[in-house]
Amino acid sequence: MLVKVENLTKTFGEFHAVDDVSFGIEPGEIIGMLGPNGAGKTTTIHMILGLITATSGRISIFGKSMATERGEILEQMNFTSPYVAFPFRLTVLENLMVFARIYNLRKPRARIDELLERFGITKLRDKAIARLSSGENTRVGLCKAFMNDPRLLLLDEPTAYLDPEIAWQVKNALLDAQREKGTTILYTSHNMDEVERMCKRIIFLHHGKVIATGSPIEITQAILEEEREEPALEEVFLRVVRGKAA
Amino acid sequence: MKIHRINAVIVRHVYEARRNFDRVIDTVWWPVLDIVMWGFFSIYLTHGKGLQPGFISMMLGAAILWTMFYSFQRDMAVAFIDDLWCRNLINLFSTPLMVSEYIAGIIVVCILKVMVGLLAASAIAWAAYSFDIFPWLPQFIPYMANLMLFALALGIAITGMIFRYTTKIQALAWSFAGLLMPVSCIFYPVSSLPKWLQDIAWMMPTAHSFEGMRDVLAGKGFSPVHFWWGAGLNVIYFALAITFFGWIFEKARTRGLLVKQE
Repeated sequence: MLVKVENLTKTFGEFHAVDDVSFGIEPGEIIGMLGPNGAGKTTTIHMILGLITATSGRISIFGKSMATERGEILEQMNFTSPYVAFPFRLTVLENLMVFARIYNLRKPRARIDELLERFGITKLRDKAIARLSSGENTRVGLCKAFMNDPRLLLLDEPTAYLDPEIAWQVKNALLDAQREKGTTILYTSHNMDEVERMCKRIIFLHHGKVIATGSPIEITQAILEEEREEPALEEVFLRVVRGKAA
Repeated sequence: MKIHRINAVIVRHVYEARRNFDRVIDTVWWPVLDIVMWGFFSIYLTHGKGLQPGFISMMLGAAILWTMFYSFQRDMAVAFIDDLWCRNLINLFSTPLMVSEYIAGIIVVCILKVMVGLLAASAIAWAAYSFDIFPWLPQFIPYMANLMLFALALGIAITGMIFRYTTKIQALAWSFAGLLMPVSCIFYPVSSLPKWLQDIAWMMPTAHSFEGMRDVLAGKGFSPVHFWWGAGLNVIYFALAITFFGWIFEKARTRGLLVKQE
């Protein structure tokens, strides 16, 4: 098991943001984390990254405890979200150079050029972040996320703000990474078609609890409580949000 | 701590300094302006007022050292606020970068900036008022080191408070050193304060540094007493600042403030 989350709980005062969540991720797996806004997806990711201290529970990654070996673990994983940003006066290249130095890359410039090309933003290399569109910013975040060739990638809505064509390119880049390098990916999204296409397994969160896990079809059948031939995650999502499940 | 990660923080802020005119103003403009203003004011006071010789030197020496202290404390906090304003903290702290490496990088950047400001202020003091600080430097350096250590302790404590209370209290970055001005006795001796305030002043490493500086400029030589008092107090304040920062950083992580910085 590459990632093992056991009985993870996070409370803010009386509010249970994450409530006794347990799951595991196998090496090379792309796993989707779904749930309405406020379900606890981002808080879970932030706890996996060690940005938020869990109230209780344990997280181990690569067989090491996040609580005691955070630095070593983070060397081999990465994260991005369109909701975080970069210093906006710095150019794309300058921002990525900072992260290349953090990961102590031997040939940072070559790596950055390769990533800029992979995500189709080579022409933006010397542009200040402030002058980029949201979609371009998202792609800079993805370049940062792939900088250290991570074994584990946490992606919080990575295709938000992207037009369908660019989103398609990004999804392919993620699938390529998984196929060619065995990158393990934990993925949150509100785009149900995307999750159905990308993820073999899904964790469905609601009010901080795991309400279902399994393949898209298993999740569909479990939450809709009926036999289906095809996954229908959008229907599942609406059912959960409207309070007819959990 | 890894050098390459500290280096990354330095590079990030050097890029910022190159592209952000506010940081150029902070580093050079204000130190130079301070010297120009205090220089004119000192000259005005000495004209026919029977003030003791060396008055202008004392005023300018004090202005240069205070500028150094203030800039260091402000730059430490502002470097952190820069990352806060652009919501870069999640990016940084989701890497192996440790908070100690982050702070170490910022300290190096602050030292570089202070050196630039110090050179600019010294050059103006020399060119406009014939005050050459360099012959005094060997005796000033221990006091300057104490001022920088105290500024560092304050910078760390204020950064910790901004971690916890976010940008609601960001004004402290620019104003906190100012609160200590009256009891730092920059331009007047500690003996000129009321007795109860003198007791407080002697607890400030800054007051010891400025008293020591005045002794040097008055030809009394280097005062080990003022230096060691300043250094001893700094050890206490620095230990308190580090403990406070460690505690408040953990508090911020527990409360999820690291990911909700605004």
